[in-house]
Amino acid sequence: MLIALAGNPNTGKSTLFNEITGAHQHIGNWPGVTVEKKEGFVEYEGKRILVVDLPGTYSLTAYSLEELIARNFILEEKPDVVIDVIDSTNLERNLYLLTELMELTDRIVVALNMFDEAKKKYRIDFKKMEKILGIPVIPTIAIRGEGVKELLHATLHGKFSMKKPEYPEDVEKRIKVLEERLKEIMEEHVRWHAIKLIEGDVEVIRKLQRMNAKSIIHLAEHLRHEIEDIYGEDIETVMASFRYSFSHGLFHEVAEPINVGGVTITDMIDHVVAHKIFGIPIFLVIMYLSFNFVFEVAVPFQDAIDLIFNGKNLSGGGKILGLVDISYGWMTTFMPSWLSSFINYGMFRGLGAVLTFTPIIMLLFIILSFLEDSGYLARIAFLMDRIMRKIGMEGRGIISLMLGLGCNVPAIMSTRTLRNEKERKLAMALNPLVPCGARIQVFAFLTSMFFSKNQALVLWSLLILSFVVIAILGYIYSRTIFRGEVEPFVMELPPYRLPTLKGVLIHMWEKSEGFLKKAGTIIIGAAGIIWLLAALPWGVEYGSEASYIGQFAQIIGPFGRLFGLTSQAIIALFFGFFAKEVVIESFTVLFESKAALMVSMTPLQAYSFLLFLLFYTPCVATVATIYQETRSLKFVIFVIFEGFFLAFLFSFLVYNIGVLLGVS
Amino acid sequence: MRLSDLSPGETALVVRVGGSGAIHRRLLSIGILPGAIVRAVRVSPLGDPIAYEIRGSFISLRRNEADYVEVEKIVPLHLVPPGSVVKVILVDGGVGFIRNLNRMGLSPGKLVEVLRPCCPMLIRTDAGVFNIGRGMAYRIYVR
Repeated sequence: MLIALAGNPNTGKSTLFNEITGAHQHIGNWPGVTVEKKEGFVEYEGKRILVVDLPGTYSLTAYSLEELIARNFILEEKPDVVIDVIDSTNLERNLYLLTELMELTDRIVVALNMFDEAKKKYRIDFKKMEKILGIPVIPTIAIRGEGVKELLHATLHGKFSMKKPEYPEDVEKRIKVLEERLKEIMEEHVRWHAIKLIEGDVEVIRKLQRMNAKSIIHLAEHLRHEIEDIYGEDIETVMASFRYSFSHGLFHEVAEPINVGGVTITDMIDHVVAHKIFGIPIFLVIMYLSFNFVFEVAVPFQDAIDLIFNGKNLSGGGKILGLVDISYGWMTTFMPSWLSSFINYGMFRGLGAVLTFTPIIMLLFIILSFLEDSGYLARIAFLMDRIMRKIGMEGRGIISLMLGLGCNVPAIMSTRTLRNEKERKLAMALNPLVPCGARIQVFAFLTSMFFSKNQALVLWSLLILSFVVIAILGYIYSRTIFRGEVEPFVMELPPYRLPTLKGVLIHMWEKSEGFLKKAGTIIIGAAGIIWLLAALPWGVEYGSEASYIGQFAQIIGPFGRLFGLTSQAIIALFFGFFAKEVVIESFTVLFESKAALMVSMTPLQAYSFLLFLLFYTPCVATVATIYQETRSLKFVIFVIFEGFFLAFLFSFLVYNIGVLLGVS
Repeated sequence: MRLSDLSPGETALVVRVGGSGAIHRRLLSIGILPGAIVRAVRVSPLGDPIAYEIRGSFISLRRNEADYVEVEKIVPLHLVPPGSVVKVILVDGGVGFIRNLNRMGLSPGKLVEVLRPCCPMLIRTDAGVFNIGRGMAYRIYVR
């Protein structure tokens, strides 16, 4: 048995999905697109029910990807029951989608979600609604799991004798005419096709063209003009008006408003946080505090994971052994030491690197889920839209850029909140240029050595440069390679709701799990390759100038010098691809003392190095995530190329202008 | 006037929804269609987008999108100062509600004189003098 969940955005549809399927769910993409597809199953009365969560939509037109996905699923996969999840606090608007769904299928169960909240607004007579519609109507409170059993019961045993909404005679008789003709060439969903043809739905017209039914298309066109003439409006307005008058009428039949005109809590909160002047400062403070929270909590975890895996060199010269060392020692008892070294210092350590990433990624996802589930994300979009549009994104794009300051991995995954494919790609192309926490750590380490007097100034110069570059590239990209159709930005500002712990955790885990499983394997693989290059030929010190990496650095040394990069700097950059903070470790391997490091580069060379590090390729984890999100090797190569291009450009310019000016 | 011309706090009746393709359809499916009541709620810091209240939910529209919507300004009865005579444009409610108001001479096109401000409000129509509560006054739109 197959059931599909349909509904408007912000109706608690995902929460209900989680409540129905529990842990039995799988997240993937709809074929060929980057829209998320959630599937799960539930055992009920010995039956195994497959549940598919359709994208949240306001209607079922052919104008947006989500709407097409939703309606095509119902047309083609023919779910046994469609559950329409309705936000009862916003009944009238939500009923519009129901009228469209009723044209598509007879087997609908209505879930009146957030029923408890709705009671404060009006008295809803759901029994009466059931009678009028002829289909089961079940009140639910998804966040508390209430009504789920009743919903499943209705799905299996409910009475379906739907009374389809009818259009006025002028329209209805024309639909019937078209239906008669369509019956000659199709058997299913005939009325729906007839209505859509009259509406001039591009997808359905295309379908009929494929079926060579030109005369029917012409007939529909003719009937459409007749209706438009009768009502003096365009067909879409006419049809939408009838559907809305049906939902308006139904709404007033079943709901009796209480308490009209009061000021809501959402109103009061918005009065402050969406304020014309204070809105943006409040947003910045909230983000600043969130980041502080993330780093305060994540850093001890990261250190602990690092200690467990890699141990610690004691200042006295000894070493606390980590898991990697212990496992290495153990494996050498039954395999050659090079193989043990590869497995442990290559791959196993790579796993450690993935794991050290996870606390920060999970925490950033918690922040993101909280912003999303509470309704604040929509306000951020509202506040920032005008600014972000200049660089080709809607307001929500700011979130991915800000998360990037923590880690580019969750930042890139957060671009899923952008609905437009082009905008999403643009956001992913720009994100690696945001200096992540790891890079900022390296900047802090090196600036403290080379620019002890102007450390803050140097650090800020790097941050500001990256923001300027992002703004300029965003401006250019959005008008050239990532130019898309301007999609309507009709966005709902949902009422504020306190996110549930369960909801936030499920949300967080869904995303972190994806990173751990998929990106994790790529990262461990890459870690193995890097190990091979740094440890071979066998017998050299790991990552030293005698290793393959070292030799490579020697060979391209003259080229590097054009940019002020020393061969040690090139080695360090190589390791930085693994994870940016490894640059610090790499320098400590290459130089015996801090003093030796400090004299290895002039301040100008050091600054050129920092510029290179700011922009060049994103780390393995980020690259893996970009691939996982886009499934496009071409796009990944583009992002890497973009980074190197900027790195070479800025290092070259700054270094050579510096030399010419005699700065060193 | 256009929807984008509405100042925060003002209410209007949608007259026509222009535009084409995705934007036209999206405006309609969100409930912005002829006869709908829209209230401008708040303007974003840079003057764009603008938040509107429509059928009980808050929707953010960019200015260039709100430009497509032609509206006519109306006022909910409870905001009308005493002493003024206004014309009823629209009554928002179910069949029963509309029938009740009809009996009180409150149907579209009829004139109302406000005698005492909200709430309860004292009004005079061609059917007589009535006291009406807040719940009612909020759902009667006049001009």
